[in-house]
Amino acid sequence: MKHEIQFIINGHARSLTVESQQTLLEVLREDLGLTSVKHGCSTGECGACSVLLDGEVVNSCMVLAVEAANTEILTAEGLATDEGLHPLQKSFTDHHGVQCGYCASGMLISAKALLNRTSRPHEEEIREALVGNLCRCGAYADIIKSIQVASRARR
Amino acid sequence: MISRKPHVIGKPFPLIEAQKKLTGVTCYAGDEKIVPDMLHARILFSERPSARFWLSNVDAVRNHKGVAALLTGQDLATRMGQTILDREMLAVEQVYFAGQPLAIIAAETPEIAEEALALIQVTYEDLPAVLDIEQAIAPGSPQVHPDFYDYPGADALHADPAHNIAHSLTFSRGDVEQGFAAADVILERSYTAAHLQHAPMETHGGVAQRQPDGSVTMWMHVQAPFLQRKIIAKALHMDPAKVRIITGCVGGSFGGKVFVSVEGLLAAIALQTKGRPVRLLLTREEEFKGVFTAPAMRAHVKMGATKDGRLTAIQASYDWDVGASVDAALFHLQSVALAGTGPYAIPNADIRTSAIYTNLLPAAPLRGLGVSQVHWAIEQHIDELAEILNLNPITLRQWNLVKGGDMLFPSFIMHANGLQSCGLQVIDAIHWHPDASSHHDDTPEPDTPKKRIGQGMANGWSPIILSEECGSSISIHFDKENLCNIIVDGVDIGQGLYAFVTQLASFELNIPVEWITVEPTDTANFAPDWEATYHNLLWSTGHALLKATAKMKRQILAYVSEVWEEPISNLDIVDGEVISYASRRRYPLLELLEQNAENENNAPVFSVTSVYRPPNTDGSIESLLQSFASTAYAAEVQVDEKTGGVTILQLAAAADVGHALNPESVRAQIKGGMIQSVSFTLLEEMIFENGIPQSHNFRDYPIATTADMPQQLHPIVVEVPQQSGPYGARDLSHHVQVGAAPAIANAIYRAVGVRIRDLPITAQRIYDALQAKRAEEA
Repeated sequence: MKHEIQFIINGHARSLTVESQQTLLEVLREDLGLTSVKHGCSTGECGACSVLLDGEVVNSCMVLAVEAANTEILTAEGLATDEGLHPLQKSFTDHHGVQCGYCASGMLISAKALLNRTSRPHEEEIREALVGNLCRCGAYADIIKSIQVASRARR
Repeated sequence: MISRKPHVIGKPFPLIEAQKKLTGVTCYAGDEKIVPDMLHARILFSERPSARFWLSNVDAVRNHKGVAALLTGQDLATRMGQTILDREMLAVEQVYFAGQPLAIIAAETPEIAEEALALIQVTYEDLPAVLDIEQAIAPGSPQVHPDFYDYPGADALHADPAHNIAHSLTFSRGDVEQGFAAADVILERSYTAAHLQHAPMETHGGVAQRQPDGSVTMWMHVQAPFLQRKIIAKALHMDPAKVRIITGCVGGSFGGKVFVSVEGLLAAIALQTKGRPVRLLLTREEEFKGVFTAPAMRAHVKMGATKDGRLTAIQASYDWDVGASVDAALFHLQSVALAGTGPYAIPNADIRTSAIYTNLLPAAPLRGLGVSQVHWAIEQHIDELAEILNLNPITLRQWNLVKGGDMLFPSFIMHANGLQSCGLQVIDAIHWHPDASSHHDDTPEPDTPKKRIGQGMANGWSPIILSEECGSSISIHFDKENLCNIIVDGVDIGQGLYAFVTQLASFELNIPVEWITVEPTDTANFAPDWEATYHNLLWSTGHALLKATAKMKRQILAYVSEVWEEPISNLDIVDGEVISYASRRRYPLLELLEQNAENENNAPVFSVTSVYRPPNTDGSIESLLQSFASTAYAAEVQVDEKTGGVTILQLAAAADVGHALNPESVRAQIKGGMIQSVSFTLLEEMIFENGIPQSHNFRDYPIATTADMPQQLHPIVVEVPQQSGPYGARDLSHHVQVGAAPAIANAIYRAVGVRIRDLPITAQRIYDALQAKRAEEA
């Protein structure tokens, strides 16, 4: 069954037609071309498809596109502005928070949600916030450092 | 950030590709070619490990609405491999492992592909299955490959197919009998390590399309596109030039995307769809069950030592369960054979390593190349020997470590190395207590189980192998439009290849880093069927790039020398300008390119291609040996005596990289290797039940999360220059993990007095060992 839905994606209002069974991940990637949102497991275990849905981190593979109607969604594509990279993107670049990069968008989204809640998170809080984002390269230490540096830069 | 000046090797440099990865610009395999008329492929995998099988309803599925093409083993009976063609691309009459592809379909939508594939009925008639090493080598065991010697390439292997031995390598020195006779203590132990998964975050996949000339183009992000081109072309009986693989960044490989698993099938189906592109993206479950594992190990080590701590002899065997195909695991065996004594100068040695066929998912090299598992055995063994000899385990190691000048083979004398330094630096980093055992925190009740703390360490070495295939090709083009455009044959899998290439070219050509772009690999660019890849990426790319930049510089200077009518020996490039030391003239390169662009007829083309090939070998394993890389690990753990749970309080790793060309990047790689090692050591095990993979997702097969991180990480960079390496550097990829598992096991032993000789070290294994120990004491 087809549904007409609207949502705000990275600051822009969009209307689109989706099928009942389509996941938000599928719609973001295949229909809207937002390929920073990665397919990793389809079962909500890896966090590669993390997006912010009304400010909360969700695994977009576990959300039906119809459920996202009338929400505000942020993906990694929406982090940078005309003024340049988001402080998180900058610090991840400068502090080796990226290796293969497949988990990077999801990491940024979880980090963004954390910094929205807590402006100066402790290492322990960062570890907790990232527990649903797997990084097979094991870059966690530098990811955590990148988030700490970004949180200081924001002040 | 990036300086506008030419880069200086050895100074920090951010990974230039990182920014694209962080903004969603980087294209991974799954992002390729999302176009409207694209077809979607799905694979039907065998559900039995060993059986004859029949497919029915195939024609109905072929004619099913929305199905564009279907291939079964009846349509495509072909074998694939690099050295031995012991794997069918699609099973023809018999399956050799659960997860073996039986059919591939291309359909209008992923849903139709799945629906249609489900309509194929598979009837199995089970055959006896070989499910582990013990069974495989037992007398009278069924033979996994009764037709072994019919497979092309089989004669190249040292095999005993009647006992399911696919290939064996041995090496000996001295006389082990004499060595053991001279020993005061002889210790013999067995060790095992489980099957592992590469588990990259990006599953296998890509897009393929038949071209009008009958060739196939594949947008596929694999670690070794040139090798894959060779294997796929051979299997499909095509000219390699008709298989083109275009890569980009890879979302993790760890060795799992080097050899061909499902990629050949994607090419085969795309040749059937009249030029419509076909996309294949494996699900996570398919990634676990249908690609590769890393082989499980069973090792037996016998070592002799004198009372005063001199190691006199070692006899060791390392057997690997490589599943139903050995082809991808051959390189693994070479590394194991060369590393087999551990980093010790033991005068009498007898090392054997064998690949054993079973009816399990085939094995491929995993980061560490089996050398990590070799040390799992050796470095626990050394610790236990030290205890028996009543010697400090560090002293025992330091006394016996291989030193520069030691002759390891008649053709190989050990070079200056960081073995001692690595070992001493890691123990320093965790504040080693001479007697760290029984050091525990203050649990209130004296009789209740305690959380105990212990420290352990391990040394490590890892051979760097350069076969004739470990070459590298590089092209550089320098023009107004793209400035300095570099085409490499290596692939960025997260190790920072593009940053390394940019750094080196900027330094050698003395031009700003902003002028340099690095192109993702495309097999159309180079003819060889080999490339710089996992273990020789820095070495071979570095050498090829040094040749190419020198050639480019000569080309530019020769041109200016003619324009200025000055000898080339007067000229140099400094800061992006050609200068003359004699006439003091300057010619900014940008100006030169500009004038060239205006003056098309006389414009020289600044364009070079260089190839680096390692020296020829005589085919023996020692002639492949370029050098040894050194590592050491030290761990401080806390073990909960009640549950067997382990917390890693501190983990130190030292790696000798020769020369850290990009120090922060090296540290990042070490830290990543440490976390992955913790994961391999404590968490990971690919489970099979009756030959069927039971690991389907990250719940069944957990990998380390931030919750599993050691509380403190101490990455240590050691720099003992590698003679003849690019700038004295050596590759880091694999050896960064060598020593982690035994250091943790040794620490657990010091904490609670139990030795775990089976990887992974699960809480259950510690708990069981503690129970057994208590029962024995009572």
